[in-house]
Amino acid sequence: MKHLRNTVLGLGVAASAIALTTAIAGTDAGSTPSISPKAMADALHLVMDSDRTIYTRKIVNRLVAKDKVITASEHFEDDKALVLPAQMFRFGSELVAKRAEDMPDVNFSYSLQSLWPVNKQNAPKTEAEKTGLKYVADNKGQNYYTEETLGGKKYFTAVYADVGVAPVCVSCHNEHKDSPRRDFKLGDVMGGVVIRIPLES
Amino acid sequence: MAYRVAACTLSGLLVTASTTAADLATYPKFEGAHLDQGRSLWLENCEGCHGYGIAGAPVPMKPADWRPRLAKGKAVLYAHAINGFFGPEDTMMPERGGNPELSDTQVKAAVDYMTALAAHYIRQER
Repeated sequence: MKHLRNTVLGLGVAASAIALTTAIAGTDAGSTPSISPKAMADALHLVMDSDRTIYTRKIVNRLVAKDKVITASEHFEDDKALVLPAQMFRFGSELVAKRAEDMPDVNFSYSLQSLWPVNKQNAPKTEAEKTGLKYVADNKGQNYYTEETLGGKKYFTAVYADVGVAPVCVSCHNEHKDSPRRDFKLGDVMGGVVIRIPLES
Repeated sequence: MAYRVAACTLSGLLVTASTTAADLATYPKFEGAHLDQGRSLWLENCEGCHGYGIAGAPVPMKPADWRPRLAKGKAVLYAHAINGFFGPEDTMMPERGGNPELSDTQVKAAVDYMTALAAHYIRQER
């Protein structure tokens, strides 16, 4: 466990280490698998979660809740407001998917899903997603890891809990006309981040 | 989080039982009706974030989180819990833990339990 934890220092560190090895050895070490799918998924999630946390704290909390100079809104264009942290995360995942189309070596995907989605498109589709989302909701503080075969291809799938961290997360989901659940409290698991990495090329 | 890992792969009933046992071990009861009420309020309204460090919430089972906060004194902690508080890193404690229905007295009781819990873990560390 300690070894794993040490391995997951962050994607940047891992990438730097690989680049350094390549430079020193002059070999194709950058293309040699040297990180487990779990460590890779954990590192990706660490980056995503940290970016989102910083956006929430340094942009939304500071400007909306503390300094009160702007609002954050689901309808950010009409309202001339900041995008919600969950929307920023979703836009990022969509851009990654689009940009990865031109990068044949980049074969991973991630999405924000929920067993109680406001938008039905964000409901889990595979059994692994359904099981994982239920697991992280029932076992707060723990992640879910599994393998699944989709379209004849094997994948490593990780699910990380997504928690309602601000009153606006809770009130929006509880009051939204399309929300299938309306009893969320602050600190509840409201969904999960699903990261999928292919296990074969 | 490691503080309250229960036997998660068991059936629903057993999970409930083991979670309750883990809660009592992790979140002990302290003497007096006031702290009993505070514990119930804390579990219902505060544990969701403070039990796991969510959004930067200080965890009472971590002495390093709470030593500097206990040093601020109860009056400051009550005020932060009732009115809300922005930390130096732009973390945000929502007013009344995000539950506007809680009275000042109820928020203070929850704070009293959390500080008692933090003090308990600080004593255990020595």
